[in-house]
Amino acid sequence: MEEVWKEINLASLHDNSSSREGLNPHNPHFILQDFLARPFSKDPPANRVSANGDTTFLVSPPPPPPATLLSLNSGPGFDFLDNSYPLRSKPRLQMQNNPISDLPNMNCPFEALASPSGLACFDKKRFQDPDNNSGDRRHKRMIKNRESAARSRARKQAYTNELELEVAHLMEENARLKRQQEQLRVAAATPLSGKRTLQRTSTAPF
Amino acid sequence: MPRDRDPLVVGRVIGDVLDPFTRSISLRVTYATRDVSNGVELKPSQVVNQPRVDIGGDDLRTFYTLVMVDPDAPSPSDPNLREYLHWLVTDIPATTGASFGQEVVCYESPRPTVGIHRFVFVLFRQLGRQTVYAPGWRQNFNTRDFAELYNLGLPVAAVYFNCQRESGSGGRRT
Repeated sequence: MEEVWKEINLASLHDNSSSREGLNPHNPHFILQDFLARPFSKDPPANRVSANGDTTFLVSPPPPPPATLLSLNSGPGFDFLDNSYPLRSKPRLQMQNNPISDLPNMNCPFEALASPSGLACFDKKRFQDPDNNSGDRRHKRMIKNRESAARSRARKQAYTNELELEVAHLMEENARLKRQQEQLRVAAATPLSGKRTLQRTSTAPF
Repeated sequence: MPRDRDPLVVGRVIGDVLDPFTRSISLRVTYATRDVSNGVELKPSQVVNQPRVDIGGDDLRTFYTLVMVDPDAPSPSDPNLREYLHWLVTDIPATTGASFGQEVVCYESPRPTVGIHRFVFVLFRQLGRQTVYAPGWRQNFNTRDFAELYNLGLPVAAVYFNCQRESGSGGRRT
């Protein structure tokens, strides 16, 4: 578990320094999987900061430029997830926020979720506050669970395919053996050829 | 069988351990009375001792190498020891079995602790009788590199089984 934790930190530190056009959510080729795979790599675009009326959500006001913006439910790729899992995401996110910010939010959770501003903004420090830890852990857990589910499906499908192959093979063999048996039965039923019976021949001179 | 339905592909053995290849030699691995076919599940108690391995081919002067690895060590979700070498036998004459070859790395019983592991048997044809040196350690073995190092080419056969710890619940919540 420790190595996993270290890995996340190292990976996100590395990500931050490299160019990330490919992972920019506003890049039209940005796909959901990229978003899910790289929670730390998104820089908050300018419009996000300005449209951020819900400043109470932020743990700390974003200094220019903010190190990261971690947002579980913001960004273009996430809208359909919002609709699919409204029950799951709502209570979790509300727990993350400061108690003060819950009040204005509770009446219109979807608006808050869909808004471009992150529901939580975190500084990327080595020692992170508990909110960030649980967000990371949750995210990491989700990915691990997905991979595990995929492996399970692959395992099941591979075994099924193998069994189908074996069945086909065995049926073929069965048919072949039956044919062979039939042929042998027919051959045994016909009268024996003359050459097979005992015969008197003369070989010795006496 | 179409490539994408091949159990070795679906089970990601081709991909994680091997490159695509064409089976040309029969490989039969048997633990006690149980034949290993792709994807069967065996318990550690069933695979404690080395299996019987029978190979095909027709010319006793052709030699084969058998490799057994675990690509999911120590855990399938974090296989940082991929691949863990469990057994390595060389100079197996065609039509015979592993007991006729040279055991370069002795059989180590699978003992998975976390997750469901795949254990893969791979058969390679040797160019001739050759000296194969055992690696310094079992973990982080690379079958592809090994094959390249000893000019073994692509595999001629492979089969794998799944194994989890004895008291495992098969990944199901109990």
